[in-house]
Amino acid sequence: MYLIWLRAAVFLYGLASVAAIPAVFGGKSTWKQLCLPAAVGGFVLQMVALVEMLTAAHHWIPTGVHEVQVALSLLVTLIFLFVWAAYRTFSFAVFALPLSLLLTIVPAISDQRYTFSSEHIRSGWIFAHVFLLLAAYAALFFSLLASILYQVEEHRLKNKRSPRLTEWLPPLDTMDRIAQSLLIAGFLCMTAGLLAGSLIAQERSGARYFADPKILMSFVTWLLYVLMIYVRRSTGFRGRRAVYLSSLIILAMISVYAANLVSSVHRFSLP
Amino acid sequence: MNLLLTGLNHKTAPVELRERLSIPEDALPAITAEVLALPGVEEAMILSTCNRVELLLAHRERTPEPDLAAFLEERFQLSGSGVREHLYHHREAEAVRHLFRVACSLDSLVLGESQILGQVKAAYAAAKENGAVRTQLDRLLQDTFALAKRVRTETEIGAAPVNISSVAVDLARRIFGSLDGKRVLLLGAGKMSELAARHLVHHGANRIVVANRTLARAEALAAQFNGEAISFEAVYSLQDVPDILITSTGAPRPILTAAHVQQFLHRRRRKPMLLVDIAVPRDVEPEVNRLEGAFLYDIDDLQSVASANLTDRRRQAGLAEEIVAAEAARFEQKRRSLEIGPVISGMQQTVEALCEAELQRLAPRMQSMTDEQYAAVKMLTRGLMNKFLHLPKQALRSAAQTGDDAAVRAIQAAFDPSVLRTGPRGDLACPRSGVSMEDVKREKARGHNEEQGSTASAAPETASESTLSDEIPARRH
Repeated sequence: MYLIWLRAAVFLYGLASVAAIPAVFGGKSTWKQLCLPAAVGGFVLQMVALVEMLTAAHHWIPTGVHEVQVALSLLVTLIFLFVWAAYRTFSFAVFALPLSLLLTIVPAISDQRYTFSSEHIRSGWIFAHVFLLLAAYAALFFSLLASILYQVEEHRLKNKRSPRLTEWLPPLDTMDRIAQSLLIAGFLCMTAGLLAGSLIAQERSGARYFADPKILMSFVTWLLYVLMIYVRRSTGFRGRRAVYLSSLIILAMISVYAANLVSSVHRFSLP
Repeated sequence: MNLLLTGLNHKTAPVELRERLSIPEDALPAITAEVLALPGVEEAMILSTCNRVELLLAHRERTPEPDLAAFLEERFQLSGSGVREHLYHHREAEAVRHLFRVACSLDSLVLGESQILGQVKAAYAAAKENGAVRTQLDRLLQDTFALAKRVRTETEIGAAPVNISSVAVDLARRIFGSLDGKRVLLLGAGKMSELAARHLVHHGANRIVVANRTLARAEALAAQFNGEAISFEAVYSLQDVPDILITSTGAPRPILTAAHVQQFLHRRRRKPMLLVDIAVPRDVEPEVNRLEGAFLYDIDDLQSVASANLTDRRRQAGLAEEIVAAEAARFEQKRRSLEIGPVISGMQQTVEALCEAELQRLAPRMQSMTDEQYAAVKMLTRGLMNKFLHLPKQALRSAAQTGDDAAVRAIQAAFDPSVLRTGPRGDLACPRSGVSMEDVKREKARGHNEEQGSTASAAPETASESTLSDEIPARRH
């Protein structure tokens, strides 16, 4: 049954992604009126699908690749909706909604092939661990996006070009506030997520777990994150330099995700 | 009802004449009442702004057009001023189109400016309050406001600013979003920086600091904005560095170097800062724009943004003109359709009167009929009347919509009650022919006998109705 919800969510995300283009670039309010309800509808259906997916799998933690993708997509849409509600900025729709769509398409059309092989997946702590880290990914993605868009608009303003091409962007100050607040939110999620994971690992596997390359990489990412926040706050870096810093963390996060392939204790594998 | 719009504007009259004709808001009701008192005037509205004075009237048809030029000459004591040469007069569809163009800011000095719509609304409200605007003008003005809103929504005619102060405000908003609580530093107390500051304050900036070589002038300007005045030298050591800096001093060389602005940015923890340099020679070194977080715009930059925006507005004005032309045509069509309403009901009444007269005349012969039979005859008469009227009504509507006034008048004349004279024996006569119903019936009866029951299909409509009445069998006693 969840596949039906998921496919309906894909349809709505597709509709919202298409409507987002004229809504953002053309400033057409009619398209915006179509885009937002479609995005909210997609979000609700996707949430229903995820709940059904997890119920059918008899666990509450996304342990399969598809479950993780759906959960991540859900969080991306949630953050987009949050940014829209808090900053009245709709521009992120052109990035967030297609990303949510892409993340949902594969789980909506194919069977689950890879699942997380740990035997301790029923713990509530794991649930917190997985969701907080996925939220950190999504928040950092938005923070990087806001920094890139800041850089684009800053470049235009400095070169005194016509605003026609970037008219859809929010003001610099708003983009900066979005980047900063999501950076902090992502950091808090990552810290809490790693803490939850560490507690479980310490309790069940002891220190052995922390010698794993993926786990080590996760802590390196966290340290880089701390460093980035410190540098940004102390120097006031914005625009280009902020993009570099955020990109570095994103790269580290991607490498952590990719470390699934080499990790012996923390990986997705064929069931 | 006819529409007439008479006025002058910045294109047709010099400011000396416009200011003599300018009507203050409190004088509007009295002057509107005077216009309403002119012969034939049913409704009136006066639009008076710094760039135009226009009188819009709805006056009765078939009455001489009010001489508004004479009214203006007399009312404003402008005899001999040559005001007539500067006046334009638009009638009917042209008046509608002109009003639409004015409200959409297509006729404004600054193309696409938004003030004019508010001024038209205010003029409408004032006229409405005094009962000078009722059906005709009310409909027109409501359509005007809807159109102006549509033009603003569907085109970007007023989107980008076209004067230097507004461009500066627009830039500040692109950087800071809302200007609420933003701190502005005016370097130099010149007119231009004062104007820019006024715009910024209007949009929410509320912390103004003025620095000038003459402190007294700085204090005077700061007082206008409830701001603070500081000495020129104090600018370099300001700890609470402003978000927006507007400079317009007469200094012969730059007074703010990249090093100065670097310090400002450092104190601001690299938060963005907008520097608007409207001085010639420039007050800020061009290298400042290379600093991260500093956005420097000099007078040429502002002017080029303004002229690029104006080009955009002109392009958008083309689209707006198309919308206005289409809406003006639609309004005119609607107006004509509404105007023929009374004509159609007049036609209906005329023919109904004819039927009623015929029924009354034949009443003695129908005494033998039962009530049901009599009702059926009445229904038949009415049904036939509606059928006969259908085609003329349709022709009238289509003639009105296409603006074929000659056809409208011809159809209207054919059903004019004054044309339907009474016959020599007091019965109603056929239109225009002067032949009485009785004559028609006698002719008809003769033809009937001769042609053995054939009916005269080519007989006029009224004759057909009479024939139908004649064919009703007399009530048997």
